[in-house]
Amino acid sequence: MKILIIEDEKALSESISTYLKAQDYICETAFDFHSAIEKTELYDYDCILLDITLPGGSGLTILKALRENNKADGVLIISAKNSIDDKVQGLISGADDYLSKPFHLSELSARIAAIIRRKKFGGNSVIQFNNISIDTQAKIASVNKTTLDLTKKEFELLLYFVSNKRRVISKNAIAEHLWGDEMEGNLDFIYTHIKNLRKKLQEAGDADYIKSVYGMGYKFTDT
Amino acid sequence: MKLLARYNRVNIAATILVLLVGGLCYYFILRFVLIHQLDKDLKVEEQEVKDYVQRNNSLPNAANYKDQKVVFEPDESVLIKRKIFSVNLYDTAEDEQQQGRQLIFTINSAGKNYKVTITKSQQETEDLVKLIVMLTLAIVVLLLMVLFIINRFVLNKLWLPFNNTLQQLKQFNLSNKTAINLKDTNINEFIELNAAVTAMSNSVLKDYDALKSFTENASHEIQTPLAVIKSKLELLMQAENFSETQMHYIQNIQEEISRLSKLNQSLLLLTKIDNQQFKDTEKVDIANIITKHLNNYEELISAKEIALTKNISEGNFVVMNKVMAEILVSNLITNAIKHNVERGSITIELNKDQLTVSNSGPVLATNPKELFERFKKDKVNSESLGLGLSIVKKICEQYHFKVDYNYTNGLHTVSLSF
Repeated sequence: MKILIIEDEKALSESISTYLKAQDYICETAFDFHSAIEKTELYDYDCILLDITLPGGSGLTILKALRENNKADGVLIISAKNSIDDKVQGLISGADDYLSKPFHLSELSARIAAIIRRKKFGGNSVIQFNNISIDTQAKIASVNKTTLDLTKKEFELLLYFVSNKRRVISKNAIAEHLWGDEMEGNLDFIYTHIKNLRKKLQEAGDADYIKSVYGMGYKFTDT
Repeated sequence: MKLLARYNRVNIAATILVLLVGGLCYYFILRFVLIHQLDKDLKVEEQEVKDYVQRNNSLPNAANYKDQKVVFEPDESVLIKRKIFSVNLYDTAEDEQQQGRQLIFTINSAGKNYKVTITKSQQETEDLVKLIVMLTLAIVVLLLMVLFIINRFVLNKLWLPFNNTLQQLKQFNLSNKTAINLKDTNINEFIELNAAVTAMSNSVLKDYDALKSFTENASHEIQTPLAVIKSKLELLMQAENFSETQMHYIQNIQEEISRLSKLNQSLLLLTKIDNQQFKDTEKVDIANIITKHLNNYEELISAKEIALTKNISEGNFVVMNKVMAEILVSNLITNAIKHNVERGSITIELNKDQLTVSNSGPVLATNPKELFERFKKDKVNSESLGLGLSIVKKICEQYHFKVDYNYTNGLHTVSLSF
C-alpha cells in the first residue's frame, strides 16, 4: 500500500511515516505545495494524507486537481484548522475523511485502513488476523467461523486493535476513538471493556492477543 | 430621581418661597399705602369740619354715611390729644366686626370744647387689597403652570438625543460586532457626548477583535507543536524495555498532552462561537440527538452503574445550528456522567420548551453562580477542564436560551428553557 504524506511540518511528517512504515505501508513525503502537485500528478497512491495550509498553496487546490483528473486516490485531510468550514469544504471537494491536529498515530492508521478498505475493496473486505476474521461491512467478527457476540463498541475496539496490530495503543487513543474527545479524566472504564473483549475472544477458542502494557496502554499482538 | 423631577423640585420650591415672601411684602406695602390714603381722607374731613366751625362758629351736622361717621361730643374736662388710630367697628347692617380708622381731635365752637370723632370703615380698602392680591396670585399660578408644562414637554424633547444615546449604549453588545449608530443632534453637549461614545465603542470593538483573533491564532499555532509531541511520544511508546518508572512517566506525559490539546480545542470552540462561525440554523430534533449521545455513552453509564431515567417527548424541534446542538447535548450528558457517583442517577427530561438534566453527585465546593464561568470547576473533580458549562452557557447565549443550575436533595440540575 502506498501512502503520500503531504505535510510541511517535517517532524510530524517523519513521525507519521515511521509509524506507518512499521505497519507495512510504503510512504512518500512532500513538504510543500509544488512537490505535492508533482507527485500526485506522476504517481497513484492508495491514500494521500493532506495538510490544508502548505507553503506555496492550499491543500484544497491539490484535492480539486486530483478529482478533476479523475484520480481515485483516497484522501485524508489532516489540518490544524479544526474548523467546520474546512471540514465541510474538504468533504465536498471529495476528501474521504478529516482528522484534526493533534491526533493519535493509531487513530490515523485506523482511518487510513478504513479509507483503503472502502476505496480498494468497495467496502467488502474481510480482515484476517490469524484465526480472527472481521467483516467490516456486515460488522461481524468471527473466530474459526464462530461468530462472536460483540457489542458495537467491542467490535470497533477489535477493529481498532487489528488496524494497529503489534503497536502499543494508549488508553487515551482508545477512549477518543470509541467515545469521541469529550471524555476526559479517569479512563479506568476502558479496562472493563478490554476485559470483556478478551473474554469473548478466549471463549471462542482464540489465544489472548491483548497485552496490557504497564502504565501506557494495550498492545494487540501474536508475538 | 429623574433630572427633570429634581430640577422641577428645586425650581418649584424656590418659586414658592419667593412668591410667599414677595406676596407678603406686596400685601403689607399695598395695605400701608391704602391706609395712608384713608388717613389723608380723614385729615381732609377734619379740615372741612374746622373750616365750617371757623366760618359759621357752630358745629356742622353730625354725619353718618355708609363708611364715614362724624360724631361731636361736648368735652369740658380735658383737652384730648389729636390722634389717628385703628379701631374695631361693628357694622349693624352686615352684622360683623370690621376694621376702621378713627381720627379724634378737639375743637372750640361758640366757646365750648367739643371732641370730634371721625371714623372711616376700612372695609373697602381691605376688599381692594384682597382683590389685587388674589388677581396677582392667579396670574402667578397660571404662569407657574405654563412654565411647568413647558419644562415638561420642551425638556423631554431636548433630552431626546440623550435618551437615544443611552438606549443605544444599553443595546451595545460586543459579540454581535455592530458599532453604535447615533442620531445626529444640533445640541453641542450631546454632539460631544455622542462623539465620545462612538469613539469609545469603536475602540472597544477593535480591541475585542484583536483579542479574539489573538486567541484564535494562538490556539492554531499551538496545535502543530502539540501534534508533533503527541506523535513522537506515540513512537517512543513502541520501544521495548522501558522500566516501570519510565512507562509511568510516559503515561503522565501522554495524559497531560491530551489535556492540553482538549483545553486548546475547547478554547478554540468558545472563540468560534464568539465569532459566530456557526451561523447556519435548521430545525434540530433534540430528542434524536439525546438518544444518539446516550447510546454513545451507554458503556460509561453502566460502568458507573448509574440509573438512567428518561422522560423525553419526541418531535421537539429547536431552530439552531446542528453542530451547536450536538455540542450542547453532549456536554450536558458527559458532565452528568463525569460528576456522578458510583450507583448514582441521571434524569433527562425534554418537553417542547425545556431540557432538564439532573444527576446525583457531591455538593459543589465552588459558588454555583460561578459554575458557568471559564475555568471554574469543583475541586472534587480536578481532572475536569472547567470549560464544559461555559461552552453550554455560550451556546445558550447565542440562541437566547435561559440556563439555570440548582442543587437540591443531592441532585445537580441544569435546565435550559428554549
